[in-house]
Amino acid sequence: MRLLIRLLVVVMLALAGTAPVLAQDSAPASATSQTEATPRISPRQLLVPPKNSDGTLRTTPFTEDPVRWMAEKQQSFYGSLSQALRGLRGEGRARASWTLFLISFAYGVFHAAGPGHGKTVISAWLFATENELRRGITVAFLSSIIQALTAILLVTVLLGLVASAGSVARDATGFLESASYLMIAGLGLYLLATALPRARPARHHDHGHGHSHDHHGHSHSHHDHHGDHADCPSCAALNDGNGDDACGCGHAHAPTPYAVAGADWSWPKALSMAFAIGIRPCTGAILVLIMANALGIYWAGVVSTLAMGFGTFLTVSAIAALAVFGKGLATRLAGTNDRLAHWLNRGLRLAAGLLIAGLGLLMFLGSLQSSQTVM
Amino acid sequence: MHRLPYVALMLFLAAGPAGAHPHVIVDVKTELLLNAAGQVTGLRQHWLFDKNYTEAALEDMDTNHDGTFTSAELRPLTDENIKSLREYDYFTVVRQKGERVETSAPIDTDQTWSKGLLTLHFTLPFKHPLDPRKSEVVAKIYDPDFFISFALAAHNAARLEGNAPAGCAVTVKPVPTDAELESTRTMLATKGVDWQPENNEDFGALFAQPITLSCAS
Repeated sequence: MRLLIRLLVVVMLALAGTAPVLAQDSAPASATSQTEATPRISPRQLLVPPKNSDGTLRTTPFTEDPVRWMAEKQQSFYGSLSQALRGLRGEGRARASWTLFLISFAYGVFHAAGPGHGKTVISAWLFATENELRRGITVAFLSSIIQALTAILLVTVLLGLVASAGSVARDATGFLESASYLMIAGLGLYLLATALPRARPARHHDHGHGHSHDHHGHSHSHHDHHGDHADCPSCAALNDGNGDDACGCGHAHAPTPYAVAGADWSWPKALSMAFAIGIRPCTGAILVLIMANALGIYWAGVVSTLAMGFGTFLTVSAIAALAVFGKGLATRLAGTNDRLAHWLNRGLRLAAGLLIAGLGLLMFLGSLQSSQTVM
Repeated sequence: MHRLPYVALMLFLAAGPAGAHPHVIVDVKTELLLNAAGQVTGLRQHWLFDKNYTEAALEDMDTNHDGTFTSAELRPLTDENIKSLREYDYFTVVRQKGERVETSAPIDTDQTWSKGLLTLHFTLPFKHPLDPRKSEVVAKIYDPDFFISFALAAHNAARLEGNAPAGCAVTVKPVPTDAELESTRTMLATKGVDWQPENNEDFGALFAQPITLSCAS
């Protein structure tokens, strides 16, 4: 568990290009090795995050608690976001716009690493439907953009309608949030529904098989001019560590569950999923827009919101890639036994459907109880 | 490969802790401590935490595994909490005539566990005793960042302990009603961007529930 979390964090770091931050955290590994009878109190148990004597928050070393480290990074980005926005008042417009843009992007990358933004939904969906990473990434991209656009639309309309956008924007976010969770729950139910009737193995399998070859053939010729297989990410993941031959970008796949790739893909489905994920505007984006408006650089705010969406997209894609990689590993292991692979596949579909439906429902109910953000 | 479902599960769990609500809800009871001369020497506080925070805080604290948490078992947590609260001034602001009263390090710190909830007890001694007959003493317990929601207990939120001068009484302001919050909002809306509350108070103080000790003269 810990290992996986670390892996996630490392990928995120690489993406954000903030590797130097790691260096700060290498020191106090020895602190964990104390073995007294008294339990070591984790910062998580404390009422307030500990501060240094100079008033800055004391940060958790990465080695001690990666999850908390990530949460703190997110928090500090949110902090610098609002701080920078306030500080911009005195600066020139161009500089203000640039700062806003860069911080928004970084915030997008790190914020998406936390809960929400459909990472889990997309990953589970990739598990469930045999779609290729490429498609998960497409959905991630769409949902990020939709999320940015929702925020822009919401704030633009609200700013046009009311003078005191602050309190109203909060209520609207709550409503859209609940609606979004309901849609996610619906998606889970849909997945369940599609997984169940396919219980009759043989027919389904044949059907999927043909599809896959079609699809892969097409995709391959499309990308031929690139000259290598790196642009076929699910394959690259499968291939990890071995030579190219085993995989050959699609056409030489073993008749594993990958065979149904394409069967579950359609633009309306992808769009509806992206919409379910993206309809809840990110509070950070709303903050950026309202502040940008106050600073008289609304358009810079709009561009920054899109940059934030792009940052989110990068992180979500990376996580989806991990999901596919994990799955590729498993299906390859199961590849020697077709029947096993099939059951594994169907089990995953069911589990993922249940998981998504349950999660969506829980979050929906949670969002009704409090206006606080769960996701 | 049977580990695969766990991978999916982990993707969820990985996001879990980071998304936990940062909010802690605290029910506060207090005692204003008075010496023989009728001066206020400090403020004793009892913070009753909500279930969520209690659960987070008690992780691994039952060192003898008997299903209960004694003060002794909770001691390391108590010390860490008190230590980290220092930089937050214990979320306590005491004023007399608008001047902020200086406090010393907390004493008589303890944590107790009952009915499944955790309570933190501590006393904040004042550096210089205050004479309530000269001017009323006002204490506010609040978090300016609203990370923690402090609310005075519905009953016995503030008591006087010790030798209270005749005619002195303590009053607490109930939790602000929606109408009150709305009027605060309207009031703020009329102010300019550069407006600041009186006495260098922060904005959070506008929403805090003051505990007031005043004496009829």
